[in-house]
Amino acid sequence: MSANESLVIALPKGRILKEVMPLVRKAGIEPEAAFDDPNSRLLRFATNHDNVSLIRVRSFDVATFVAFGAAQLGVAGNDVLMEFDYSELFAPVDLNIGHCRLVVAEPKEMSEHDDPRRWSHVRVATKYPTLTRKHFAARGVQAECIKLNGAMELAPQLGLCRRIVDLVSTGDTLKANGLVEVEKIADISSRLVVNRAASKTLPELVGGWVDRFREVVNGD
Amino acid sequence: MNEYSQRALLPEGLHDEIMPTAEAEARIVHALTACFASHGYDLVAPPLIEFEESLLSGPGAVRGAHMFRLMDPQGQATLALRSDITPQIARIAATRLARAERPLRLAYSGQVLRVRGNQLHPERQFTQTGAELVGVDTTAANVEVILLAVEALNALGVEGLSVDLIQPTLVPAICDAFGLDADTALKVRTALDAKDVGALSGLGGDAEHVLARLLAAAGPADAAFNVLKSLNLPASAAQKCADLWDVCAQITAAVPDLKVTVDPGEFRGFRYHTGVCFSFFAAHGHRELGRGGRYLIDSAGNGSGGESATGFTIATDSLLRVLPDLTPPRRLFMPFDAAADAGAKLRSEGWQTVAGLEPVADDFAEAERLGCDHVLRDSEVVSCGGRKN
Repeated sequence: MSANESLVIALPKGRILKEVMPLVRKAGIEPEAAFDDPNSRLLRFATNHDNVSLIRVRSFDVATFVAFGAAQLGVAGNDVLMEFDYSELFAPVDLNIGHCRLVVAEPKEMSEHDDPRRWSHVRVATKYPTLTRKHFAARGVQAECIKLNGAMELAPQLGLCRRIVDLVSTGDTLKANGLVEVEKIADISSRLVVNRAASKTLPELVGGWVDRFREVVNGD
Repeated sequence: MNEYSQRALLPEGLHDEIMPTAEAEARIVHALTACFASHGYDLVAPPLIEFEESLLSGPGAVRGAHMFRLMDPQGQATLALRSDITPQIARIAATRLARAERPLRLAYSGQVLRVRGNQLHPERQFTQTGAELVGVDTTAANVEVILLAVEALNALGVEGLSVDLIQPTLVPAICDAFGLDADTALKVRTALDAKDVGALSGLGGDAEHVLARLLAAAGPADAAFNVLKSLNLPASAAQKCADLWDVCAQITAAVPDLKVTVDPGEFRGFRYHTGVCFSFFAAHGHRELGRGGRYLIDSAGNGSGGESATGFTIATDSLLRVLPDLTPPRRLFMPFDAAADAGAKLRSEGWQTVAGLEPVADDFAEAERLGCDHVLRDSEVVSCGGRKN
């Protein structure tokens, strides 16, 4: 196996990683011990396969690493895929993990006399400006997006803007911050993503792993 | 860094091509067009700017959002800068060369300009070099252009060249056959655009099953065709797969060690195509080298369709990135007092000569300063390193 035929798999840090690792292990990939060591400073990890290594990056960066071919495979939510709309990314397997919804939310008292059908201009705080603008544009609504990287729920409370677009799984965080969901944009789950050029130039290798992950998911 | 250096920065996506890449690219273009010419493709050279309307006809119909536009002060008409040369070749075939014998074989190379690049190919101005075969809609014609591109790319030394075969009309044919309504068909297109199998869920029934299998079929040609055969596609779709298979079998027979993949669910970026399409990749390249396929020329200029053509375009800058470093030319320093007629003979032998414009103390030091590895001394070529050739 030449060095040219090595694979890098990009995994998202944080919450999703706990759900992804059982699938990765079931597919037969076992990372070196440092992967599970919180004190390790390593960023790239060897595995039990000589030609497969893992990297752990922020979920948005998974899409970027894979789109540019720096990693050949990765795991990313379709929220990230929709935000970037990279033409070089394929999502051939729905991993059926990390389920949540991407929604528009606003303060409870405001929602009581707010009719989403009559919006003409909205200002929204979100991690997903492109996706948000596109969603509202499809309905003919002007959206002015304020890009935040986290703690979206604070924005309405502190008067940054009245509405947010964010991921919701149980709805507890919204509730705790006095917000309610007024519109669902999309159902989200994690996908196995593949770089387009790699899937063409290393079809057996990349396709083999895609099939492995598909079997693991369907076997559940 | 002075103030002028900062002011002279170029707009995003544009850059000055300097040595050695400018020359390397010129050599690539020359090698490609020479290969096309050797197969009977005649070079044509349309202008950079045309009437907007004519650039938008036929295969240009999908390019509207990509073009820079300007007003012609003479005729007050709207002009556009080409963002793709293929529509111009189609226009030439339909007008100037309408009466030329078919099949018509044309080649071109020129710069294009687009409003925005994409993440992987951010350049807004780059060179397209390609060939078009007009007037014959057969497998033989499809095979000819693919093999032409393969020959030209292999001759340049592209490592691990692979061809991806695509049939962009397959998915619409399947949607039609399953009687999907317009909304559902749009949902399918979006899902397949992103190759997102998750977005297909909820479609239900045979359509979801067939389309999901279609997405999973992408890969090495043999395996992909086995999946396609097992799918029991409706007749119109099955015919399109058979066309693809014929092309695949013939190019594999002609170039047995060529890597061929098939991607039956792909149509992103193949909006105007009507038959077998393809893209080219190099083993270590992150972006495709070029692409092409079958399309219709707008023969009457009214959108009613017309002659069938096929061809391909190579983005020369993408190609340059995957080629091995070209051997640097041999450069020879000719000191100020060298005989004037000595250079001509050496240049005809392949040397590049750099003339000294005034006497210097050390010819060898001067040669190295000017990027030369040899010096002409007493009518003899002497290497700077060994001081003797």
